[in-house]
Amino acid sequence: MNSKIEKDNASIIAVDKLCKTVNSHNGPLTILSAIGFNISSAESVAIIGASGSGKSTLLSLLAGLDVASSGSIEILGQSMSELNEDGRAALRHQAIGFVFQSFQLLPNLNALENVMLPLELSGDKKAKTLASDLLDRVGLSQRLTHLPSQLSGGEQQRVALARAFVTRPKILFADEPTGNLDSSTGDNIIKLLFELNKENQTTLILVTHDQRLAQRCERIIELKAGRII
Amino acid sequence: MNRLYLALRFLRRDSRSGELTLLMLALIIAVASSTAISLFADRINRTMNYQAAEFLAADLLLSSPEPIAYSILQQGNKLDLKQSQTTEFSSVLMENDEFLLVGVKAVSANYPLYGYLKIRQQSYTEEQTVYHGPKSGNVWVESHILSALKLKLGDQLRVGEKALHISQIVSYEPDKRGDLYSLSPRVMINSADLEATQVLQAGSHAHRFFQFAGSEENILTFKRGLEPQLTVSQRIMDVYEDRPKLGSALQKAERYLGLSSIVVILISGVAIAMATRRYSERHFNSTAILRCLGYKQNQVLQLFLWQFLLIGLIASTIGCAVGWISQEVLLHTLRELLPAKIAAPSILAVFFGMMMGIIVLFGFALPPLLRLKRVSPLRILRRDLVPLPSSAWLVYGLALVLLIFLISQYTDDLKLTLGIIGACALSLLIIAGLAYLLLTATRLLLAHVNLTWRFGLQDLSRNRRSNIVQVLAFSTTLLAIILSFTVRTDLINDWQQHLADEAPNHFALNVFDDQKEALQQELKQQGVKVSHFYPVVRGRLVAINTTPVQQIVTKESQGERAIHRDLSLTWAKAPAKDNKITAGLWPSQRKSHMVSIEQKLAKSLKVKLGDKLTFTIASQQVTAQVDSIRKVNWDTMKPNFYMMFSPGTIDQFAHTYITSFYLATEKKDVLNQLLKHYPAMTLLDVDLLLQQIKRILIQLTAAINYLLYFALLAGFLVLFAAVQTTLDSRIYTGVLMRTLGAKRSFLQKIQWIEFSVLGFIAGLLAVLMAQLAIYALYHFVLKMDFNINLTLSLLVPLASALFIGLAGFWGTRSVVNQSPMQVLREL
Repeated sequence: MNSKIEKDNASIIAVDKLCKTVNSHNGPLTILSAIGFNISSAESVAIIGASGSGKSTLLSLLAGLDVASSGSIEILGQSMSELNEDGRAALRHQAIGFVFQSFQLLPNLNALENVMLPLELSGDKKAKTLASDLLDRVGLSQRLTHLPSQLSGGEQQRVALARAFVTRPKILFADEPTGNLDSSTGDNIIKLLFELNKENQTTLILVTHDQRLAQRCERIIELKAGRII
Repeated sequence: MNRLYLALRFLRRDSRSGELTLLMLALIIAVASSTAISLFADRINRTMNYQAAEFLAADLLLSSPEPIAYSILQQGNKLDLKQSQTTEFSSVLMENDEFLLVGVKAVSANYPLYGYLKIRQQSYTEEQTVYHGPKSGNVWVESHILSALKLKLGDQLRVGEKALHISQIVSYEPDKRGDLYSLSPRVMINSADLEATQVLQAGSHAHRFFQFAGSEENILTFKRGLEPQLTVSQRIMDVYEDRPKLGSALQKAERYLGLSSIVVILISGVAIAMATRRYSERHFNSTAILRCLGYKQNQVLQLFLWQFLLIGLIASTIGCAVGWISQEVLLHTLRELLPAKIAAPSILAVFFGMMMGIIVLFGFALPPLLRLKRVSPLRILRRDLVPLPSSAWLVYGLALVLLIFLISQYTDDLKLTLGIIGACALSLLIIAGLAYLLLTATRLLLAHVNLTWRFGLQDLSRNRRSNIVQVLAFSTTLLAIILSFTVRTDLINDWQQHLADEAPNHFALNVFDDQKEALQQELKQQGVKVSHFYPVVRGRLVAINTTPVQQIVTKESQGERAIHRDLSLTWAKAPAKDNKITAGLWPSQRKSHMVSIEQKLAKSLKVKLGDKLTFTIASQQVTAQVDSIRKVNWDTMKPNFYMMFSPGTIDQFAHTYITSFYLATEKKDVLNQLLKHYPAMTLLDVDLLLQQIKRILIQLTAAINYLLYFALLAGFLVLFAAVQTTLDSRIYTGVLMRTLGAKRSFLQKIQWIEFSVLGFIAGLLAVLMAQLAIYALYHFVLKMDFNINLTLSLLVPLASALFIGLAGFWGTRSVVNQSPMQVLREL
């Protein structure tokens, strides 16, 4: 798998005939159907659509957090359907970063420890230095030992950004990264996100319903009732 | 290594946030109590083994009425066995116109092979410990003898034909037996002077004891070689195979201590399970993040397993240290009551404590932990994705296996273990069923109460499932505490009944018919309370329904001992007060030639009601039919008999009387007067024996109290663990209600009502189950009488409502103290 990752194909994500169906009280419910697209390395793509259009489901399938009902997803040349739960976890570990709407920081770890976490999981000895450098980069050098509950929303999202970039992922998934922030803080976060993205040459897949934010991406995929329009 | 390092870091972070405090405390208590008990029991048991050797003053003892063959002593020499000899016989001493029946003991140079003697120079001076008997020409006597014979230390005392110099007062000898020779006042001489006393002639009645000490292997080889050579009247006892068994009180207490420590472990286990459940639920989100960051399922599980192993090791180490200190404190507090030399603590017992900690932790914590493995990374986007709980089989199966293992450690009896487990499972089911009904019933009240009560009660019936779990936890804890208190109190009462302050401490034997009235009168004048006078006829049981008894009994059984010696037979109109008829009847007008037999002997001899027993009394045969079987409590210091005949059956034979009475220490002089007035009467002073039993009881009571503190602590932990498991949702609801305008006092009242009612229900069910359990325990295990305790039945539900209400109120104070903004932001 490593060799495939390192090959760094022009098309880093390839989605074909992707479907997701779940069982509901009223029978099977199709959330996504016949989705297909390719994303190139270092490209920034926005996935937009109204609430319930299937944006977050698509993101969870692309990130290997959930499994498709049919169709295929290839990430870095690796077919997701060929990977089991642990295989997908390994792929996430090596190549994928996340930023969430609700920050998802561990409440009992301070800012520095939250950023160190992904490096610690891979046994990186320089975890502390790298994490504190990146926190410095996002402007939180004075907040290293603060717990998430002691940070503002914008500060928490900066920690989340630092955590996402600290492993230098090839792909970054961002799920409504400004959804919980006021517009001025949100603008600052987006600015930072795109700067970091550029510095790290990361492929960015951004889920949002904010047209303004989507416009900053190189490409927009719009979903409506589970289909690309 | 990386995983261990990570686990350490995670552990440090979790402990910083206080997530692990409850878990650690519960484990420390479980380990501390089990280590303290195993260390304490181990040390006391090993001390008792040591004392058993001391009791024999040897590893092997051969008793014989006549001297033994020289070849036997030579065999002992060949096996490198140390040897000593004692000869005991009764003799009447006369000095200064006073005379006294004494038990003379002639001891050889090596005596005692184990243990020590205590001697002193004056009646009230400090005792000295020595490891030898008197030198030739000297005699050691009990202080009582000096006053009785008007002698003092340094005087001459004539034993038979030999005048000896009284050099010491002897106050303790290790191998003092409870027979006539030992219980009469002691006179100890050197074996070298025995012949010169000329007391023992051919045919004289004496007991000779030959003591041997050596390695276990050599002792048992010697014993095997010796057994075929024994004559009918010779007996051997060794510390390995014939060690005196624990008395019934001690046996009950040992079981009780063991079972109590399981109760502590079980209560702590409940706290551990609850704390781990909360821990794992609070780690769903962080696990989802870990999974999102690419951590595999097994890596997640390993990470948490490592953390728990570390928790187990840390808590067990602290628990062992606390347990060690606890048993040292216990031994230190009781040092006056315990033997001077206590066996050293065994490192194995500490190892047992450590193992116990890890086993208990994983037994109760594994099922909730395994849930973490199943946390989906998708939870990061969808908080409602909760991993499936572990299967009920796994949750209860693990705890059940653990319990079976623990209980069988103490009971050594699979049937009893399964019985206890079955009873526990049944109790849990009944409690859960009743709790369901009672919680549902609270709904009926809703229409009739005010808003505060309605909110308080509403939660009880709405969250029935989680409330049933809480009721189960509270009531099992309460149940355990009630059981501990009741059984402890009843055990102690039971013992103290046997050993009331004025329990008889003297036996008067060989009282002749014509002396009975006068003796009764004299004792009454002295203000001494005397129990019933029973006539005693010596006789031997020879046949049961015409079958000779030798063909019926098995060797080594109680029956075997009963038929090889003369029994003390008596007759009476009514059974002794503390005897209980277990089969047949004891009519007020008993026909002649009827006999009542003691229960255990009847079982051993397979005697049933209606059987005909034939006795040889003074070379005549008497046959009587068994009309009742009696349960006899041998622990009471009152005359008791295996066989009690109906009047008119054996009255015609020559008989003497036996009775017992209590004499305070300051009235001991009465004994001298009695001996002067009734020279043929034998007086046995059992004060020492009583003191020893009482001392043991005090020790055990203290030990039991001690264990109860652990149970109480563990019980409180369960309370807080249970409160904690629901704390998050309570905080959330509380914050929402406050945001919507509810006052703090309103929320406080709701919590107070909810927990008090929950406590009341738990208390009610606990009392109910406790009465059932105590009945079963007394009836089947402890063999004691059962009475319903009404005060307890009323008090416990009220106290439980108060305490659980308080604990709930205190435990949930954060519900009203947390800033709503902060809580809502953390969601």
